[in-house]
Amino acid sequence: MIKYLYIVKTQIIKSLTYEFNVYGNILMQTIIMITSAYFWKALYRNQSVVAGVDEQSMLTYIIISSALSVVMFTNVERRIEQSVIKGTVATDMMKPVNLFGVYLAEDIGSIIALIFQNMIPILLIGGIFIKIPKMADIRDLPLFIFSVLISFLINWLIAALFGMLSFTAVNIDALIQVKKHLLRLLSGSIIPIWFFPEIVANVLRALPFVYIYQLPISIYIGKGDRLEQIAQMKIQFLWLIVLFALFFAAQHRITRKVLVQGG
Amino acid sequence: MIKAFKELGHYLDVTCHVIKMAAMTIIEYPANIAGWMISNPLQFIMGFAIIKFVVEAFGEVGGWNYGQLAFLYGLSVISHALSMIFFVQGWFMGYFVIEGDFDRYLTRPLGVLYQFFFTNINIFGVTDLIPGILVFVYGCIKCSIHITPLFILQIIVTLIGATLIRGGIYILLGSTSFHTRSATDFGQYTQEIMDKTTMYPISMYPESLQFILTYLIPIGWVSFYPVSSMLGIENNMYNGMLLPLVTLLVGILVMCLAGGYFTLGLAKYESAGN
Repeated sequence: MIKYLYIVKTQIIKSLTYEFNVYGNILMQTIIMITSAYFWKALYRNQSVVAGVDEQSMLTYIIISSALSVVMFTNVERRIEQSVIKGTVATDMMKPVNLFGVYLAEDIGSIIALIFQNMIPILLIGGIFIKIPKMADIRDLPLFIFSVLISFLINWLIAALFGMLSFTAVNIDALIQVKKHLLRLLSGSIIPIWFFPEIVANVLRALPFVYIYQLPISIYIGKGDRLEQIAQMKIQFLWLIVLFALFFAAQHRITRKVLVQGG
Repeated sequence: MIKAFKELGHYLDVTCHVIKMAAMTIIEYPANIAGWMISNPLQFIMGFAIIKFVVEAFGEVGGWNYGQLAFLYGLSVISHALSMIFFVQGWFMGYFVIEGDFDRYLTRPLGVLYQFFFTNINIFGVTDLIPGILVFVYGCIKCSIHITPLFILQIIVTLIGATLIRGGIYILLGSTSFHTRSATDFGQYTQEIMDKTTMYPISMYPESLQFILTYLIPIGWVSFYPVSSMLGIENNMYNGMLLPLVTLLVGILVMCLAGGYFTLGLAKYESAGN
């Protein structure tokens, strides 16, 4: 465990090296957040409530969505791809640590750095320029944090599974893009799926993506009652288990494949 | 004069060869081809579906109806695709700077910027073009547009201008790497901002933001102004060549600025390991 904590620490220090990246990212995300805010304001100009959500909740939604995108940072897919392309994967696997544990520790380190570099500034900027993203019911906070943790794991496992595709496809730049677009549009990170037609929304509810962004934010803005949220969290948890199973199966196959090829 | 023509001929010759080479290198990874074939159209089909859903849930968007939005979206995606083919490398300029990859270009007797973009020409951008054209044609039908020579000319001039604006912005952002010495991939953010500002009418934003998008960062000219002129929206009934030509002019201006900034940056470039 100490080994992984050390990796987390190293990654935090690494992330603090480039100052310009931090300001650039904050600036870009601020622009995106403020344009989204005006986008929703323009849409709500003639209506007060659409699909059971009013303008103020929607503004909170986008601020929290921007802040959450920090937690959904993953680099694991690129790391796997690079280690396969450069052929270092065989020697990496010989090290006395679990390779995927290292990648997870690195991503956690990056996220811890990003929380200070990115999430807190974004929440402050959003609070000043758009509105203070107050939680609908503060008693939901434990539920919210718990569902964010599961969201993070689901997101990370999906990224890792896509990364493992590079063992068969080698170059997975395009597949990473596919994943990114699927996530961006189907997770409700830009537009929540409750604005979608019923059939589409029902299909999306069966997929894991909405449980990454939309579910935690719904809890935050208090959309739906407690029972509904708990029911959704059950599906979220189910997806976590399914993805873990897939992950371990894939990891097993890959390790065997590398060992066979490595001699 | 003859020398200039000879040089132009040389550049064209080289361009043909690098396109051939680019086509060959993309065949290297078959799974990658399949990936791009799915990923790019998927992105825009979903983007378009979202516009449809939003219009269905909210009615009009900033006074634009569904057909007009489709027209705007289609035109915007086409110019995006063209800028992807020619200028996407601007997103990755930082990596070239910190890894010292400009060394190779500096030793060759061709323009550095030319080599940077054309030796890495991105033929996959074509996969963006197809959904763009489909949505655009759909938008044309929905707006019941009469295809006249003037209309075609307007579209072509607008597209050239829009592609230059987008490309210029990528170069400007990429060139910051020369000064910061860091490789930041602003691609995704740029894309997201561009999506929000070119695929929806910017008239839905407040005046201050409109001012910025018109004069400071001229993204408004990529699609919003020419399209509102062509479709006669926003009290702008003038249906001539004026606004497409302004787009072209803005595009050339942005490109010149970007080229200048790039050259300035290149003077600061000192390869890797120094």
